[in-house]
Amino acid sequence: MSTERSPALRRAGLVALELCVPVLLLVGYGLWSHRALDFYFPPLGEIAEVFGRLWLFDRVPGDLLPSLVRMLAGYALSVVLGVGAGLLLGLSRLLRTAAEPVVEFLRALPAPALIPFALLLFGAGDGAKVFVIVLGAVWPILLNTIDGVRGVDAQQLDMARAYRVPFAARVLHIVLPAASPRIFAGMRTSLAIAIILMVVSEMVASSNGLGYFVLESQRSFAIPEMWTGIILLGVLGYALNWVFLRVERRALFWHRGARGRLGTAGPPGRRGRAARPRSAPSPEVTDA
Amino acid sequence: MLDVLGLRKVHGPDPDGPPAVADLDFSVAAGEFVAILGSSGCGKTTMLRCLSGLVPPTAGEVLLHGAPVTGPPKDMAFVFQDYSRSLLPWMTVRRNVAFPLRYQGVTGPAARTATEEALAAVGLAGRGDRFPWQLSGGMQQRVAIARALAYRPKLLLMDEPFASVDAQTRAGLEDLLLEVRERYDITVVFVTHDIDEAVYLADRVLVLRPPAHVSLAVDVDLPRPRHQVDTKRLPEFGRLRAELFAALDGGGRDAAAPAPSPADAG
Amino acid sequence: MGADTAPAVPAGAALVSGRAGAPARGGRAGPVRARARRWRELGVRVGGVLAVLAAFELCSRLGVLPRQWFPPVSEIYVELFRLAFGRPLWVEIGRTLSGWAIGLGLATLLAVPAGVLLGSSRIAYHLSRTVIEFFRPVPSVALIPLAVLVYGTGLDMKVFLIVFVTFWPVLMQTIYGVQDVDPVAKDTARCYGLPPTAVFRLITLPSAAPYIATGLRLSSSVALVLAVTAELVAGSPGLGQAIVVAQSNALITRMYALIIVTGLVGWGLNSAFQAVEGRLLRWHPSQRQEVAR
Repeated sequence: MSTERSPALRRAGLVALELCVPVLLLVGYGLWSHRALDFYFPPLGEIAEVFGRLWLFDRVPGDLLPSLVRMLAGYALSVVLGVGAGLLLGLSRLLRTAAEPVVEFLRALPAPALIPFALLLFGAGDGAKVFVIVLGAVWPILLNTIDGVRGVDAQQLDMARAYRVPFAARVLHIVLPAASPRIFAGMRTSLAIAIILMVVSEMVASSNGLGYFVLESQRSFAIPEMWTGIILLGVLGYALNWVFLRVERRALFWHRGARGRLGTAGPPGRRGRAARPRSAPSPEVTDA
Repeated sequence: MLDVLGLRKVHGPDPDGPPAVADLDFSVAAGEFVAILGSSGCGKTTMLRCLSGLVPPTAGEVLLHGAPVTGPPKDMAFVFQDYSRSLLPWMTVRRNVAFPLRYQGVTGPAARTATEEALAAVGLAGRGDRFPWQLSGGMQQRVAIARALAYRPKLLLMDEPFASVDAQTRAGLEDLLLEVRERYDITVVFVTHDIDEAVYLADRVLVLRPPAHVSLAVDVDLPRPRHQVDTKRLPEFGRLRAELFAALDGGGRDAAAPAPSPADAG
Repeated sequence: MGADTAPAVPAGAALVSGRAGAPARGGRAGPVRARARRWRELGVRVGGVLAVLAAFELCSRLGVLPRQWFPPVSEIYVELFRLAFGRPLWVEIGRTLSGWAIGLGLATLLAVPAGVLLGSSRIAYHLSRTVIEFFRPVPSVALIPLAVLVYGTGLDMKVFLIVFVTFWPVLMQTIYGVQDVDPVAKDTARCYGLPPTAVFRLITLPSAAPYIATGLRLSSSVALVLAVTAELVAGSPGLGQAIVVAQSNALITRMYALIIVTGLVGWGLNSAFQAVEGRLLRWHPSQRQEVAR
């Protein structure tokens, strides 16, 4: 690519380039589905029409909102528990050692396998779903918090101790902020997991929610409806991820600044990468 | 003011292991500027951590105003070598300086005044809203000094504070340190591996040899206020630095290899 | 550069490792003390496990949790051993793992070449970026109904889902790994007149390998989640379905035993990947870093 053109033109070109394939895909699918008349792959127009009918905003309070509430409740609980326990385990070697095998086991246990257990424990209500979400989403946050806490610069803690800053304030003002880049990295992974588990738990035992809707549509062969559900879930995942990245960017601006990566308004791609410190696939590179 | 009596520090749980600090004795009078000179790896930092109460000594005592130091004392401030690691990147310069004050019961307008005054004293008035990483290395170390000043210490411990800035900036920081010490009437214990810096700043220079013990103590009778060019041109300055160089050089060889070393101070 | 084109965090290696306290200054006493500490740590770990198990056992025996639904851990373990000596359990494990292995293998075969292509060509990368960024956060499980429609409830369906879900992490890690090759090393090779294929084989691939390995490890656990989910939701044969069957037949103890088996399978896969990764890539800084975690 030429580097002589003006930045504005460059960016426009880049956007065009990036939109090219999605547009082609959509058009291709539209043409194909129109001609093929495959029962499982309805034409785009039909999906769009059903989508508008269902989700603007007929079924929003009945299916979308309950799903969102469950997911956000589970996610919030995961963050609180993960960060809290992570601080504890990160600060105490004894607790960390004692908890290690149990944590390793629970982390490796596929969370959906616990759905039957959750149903016994909480019944078929929201409690079981939130429980499953927490049991799946808490681990990345917990482990990253532990790592973040253990990675806190000893000199910062020494400084605070030399200035007689009490323990609780050291944890709140030094350990927590210093670990926050790692915590955010874990939270991002957990966000995706929380969405997945929301859907799964609703598929297994629920009478409303997006997961339930998609599965029921499929079982009653309401194919366009099923597609709208899948698309809505995709949009939801994308949107939540987008919001998360904005929040993270804002919360960690000091981190990027301290690493000399603030205000690099240059073109994306290699040039941006070259400016980055070379490092292993480490958490530090997750927020470039 | 500060008395170090038979200080000994061994790393690890085994008290009979090789010590990092052994039989260290010295005193610092109120208002004195003492430079502690030692090559790298001679236990300077460990010693300073014992003095500050950050780590307990294995044996011996540190007395401040006659009372034993068991934890970081109230009227002592510490400036670390690596400013980029002792300043908190998520706080503005102002919050970095004000951060310790709240826990000393200094709040509200009193804390604000102390902070702004300290920032002005190190020439950073008006930079309080910046973040440390937006400042140059020398300015960051000034922030660290401002944080110490705002704390209103009687005793200031400095661990090679100017070792990671360039020579030009360093001269400026040295003069700044002398000036604020005069103004705030602070006793300073200054650890360095740089002979010129030690002689230029201090009233007295202690040479440390591994495992950290005082192998030589030299009084510096250079006139104050000191001047980067004029002071360093005095014959006395040259004599002192030669004497210290000899004392330190022997130590360096000792530590490196069993080379035939002149039997100097031991 | 979307922030999430960066490699995923290897979500925690061992909790306790490395940074093991002060450097051993103890001279001759060092190894002895290190061994003593290792034993003590082992004791603490075993203690942690026993404490948790005992807590569950007590909860059940004292009736804090209804015993009929939450049998004592000891009974669950008896059931677990009984199952372990029978054939059906291993058949179920085999079914789950075959879906896992085929899916992961296929995804790797697809994602690594694609990643190398997208990593080495800027135009290709930008062309595909939007599609990748859109599909990656799509919750894979939303596709279960579709997969059931198209592939039925057998192995094909499971494999499709696993390929879809594991494709993205491997792809992203490969792209990132290829893009992160040291340009100096590449230039050096070119200066010495190495042909592009040799540059690729000797420089690009080895330096991308750690990234790909991390992608595989992350994918492996996601693949298992998907396999179990597909079995639970769509009823394809495997551990997940066995759990549901046990539950609906009110064989609660067996259900718990199977859940534990599922966890052990996940834990085993995870440990195996970590071990292989550590051994193959011992030279790479990422390994040293993981040790420090």
